[in-house]
Amino acid sequence: MKKLLFFSLALAPFMSACNSNSSETKTETTTDTVSTMPVDTMATTTPSTSALTDPQIASIAVTANQIDVDNGKIALKKSSNADVKKFAQTMINDHTAIIKQATDLATKLNVTPETNPTTQSLLDNAKMVADSLNNKSGADFDKYYAQSEVNYHQQVIDAVKNTLIPNTQNAELKSLLQSVVPNLEHHLEMAKELSSKLNK
Amino acid sequence: MPFFFLIQFMKTLLVIAFCLLLICCKSKNSNNVTFHTVSIEMMQFEPDTLTVQPGDTIQWINKDIVSHDVSHFPDRNWHSDTLNKDATFIKVATDSFSYFCSIHPTMRGKILIEKSN
Repeated sequence: MKKLLFFSLALAPFMSACNSNSSETKTETTTDTVSTMPVDTMATTTPSTSALTDPQIASIAVTANQIDVDNGKIALKKSSNADVKKFAQTMINDHTAIIKQATDLATKLNVTPETNPTTQSLLDNAKMVADSLNNKSGADFDKYYAQSEVNYHQQVIDAVKNTLIPNTQNAELKSLLQSVVPNLEHHLEMAKELSSKLNK
Repeated sequence: MPFFFLIQFMKTLLVIAFCLLLICCKSKNSNNVTFHTVSIEMMQFEPDTLTVQPGDTIQWINKDIVSHDVSHFPDRNWHSDTLNKDATFIKVATDSFSYFCSIHPTMRGKILIEKSN
């Protein structure tokens, strides 16, 4: 459960990358249920200057999508629940398509995605969540995966809408990020339905 | 001279009418069947409700980043192949029906048959 918290905290850099103020993150843990999302006060602070460049934003976008592809592959391998497998396959297919769109655009714009502290933080924490997923099995795995997808998509949506899109300079990259939001929101609804069904 | 201008005016009207027919999104064949288009974009069917005549043809075109399909709702007793970007699916409407994307199940649409009197 604490590893899911660490994963949630990984998205705090999304919110902090464009802010000059210090942040305070409060987290809660439970021993029996998947932990709730942490509160990040910086998410509501209007950034005074842009600290992310378009190559860095492209890197964050591709990495965030790849993480969900990777988690989906774990779910396909480990789950025997048909609904979980179907959800996982949709995540793999959709996020792979988004990655291709993003990398094709980066090539067209001659932009090389630039790894940055936010990207690395995402990767570091994704590894912890992947380790948690790999250490679980059966119904525990299914519930944990579904809830982690709810948390992850909510935080990615918030980050894309509130940080990445407002700070993107290139119009085509901004348009791509905007076009992805409905897909992310749909994934969130699907994840919530899956989690609700698994917890009945 | 006025007659000449009248002829020119009539010709212009004919050209405009012809152009309007060409750019209209519906085409009619000799059997009075209309061709409709539903665009799949930003995780929505647009329009999500379409009223047509019996025998009209509906084409769904996927303009989205991700793949979708068009499936009868709720039991999927007919469905398209998985539609990648720019792929299309065509169906002739004989009855009203609801449909959805079985890959993204909250995407829904309806085709309503308008029965002529």
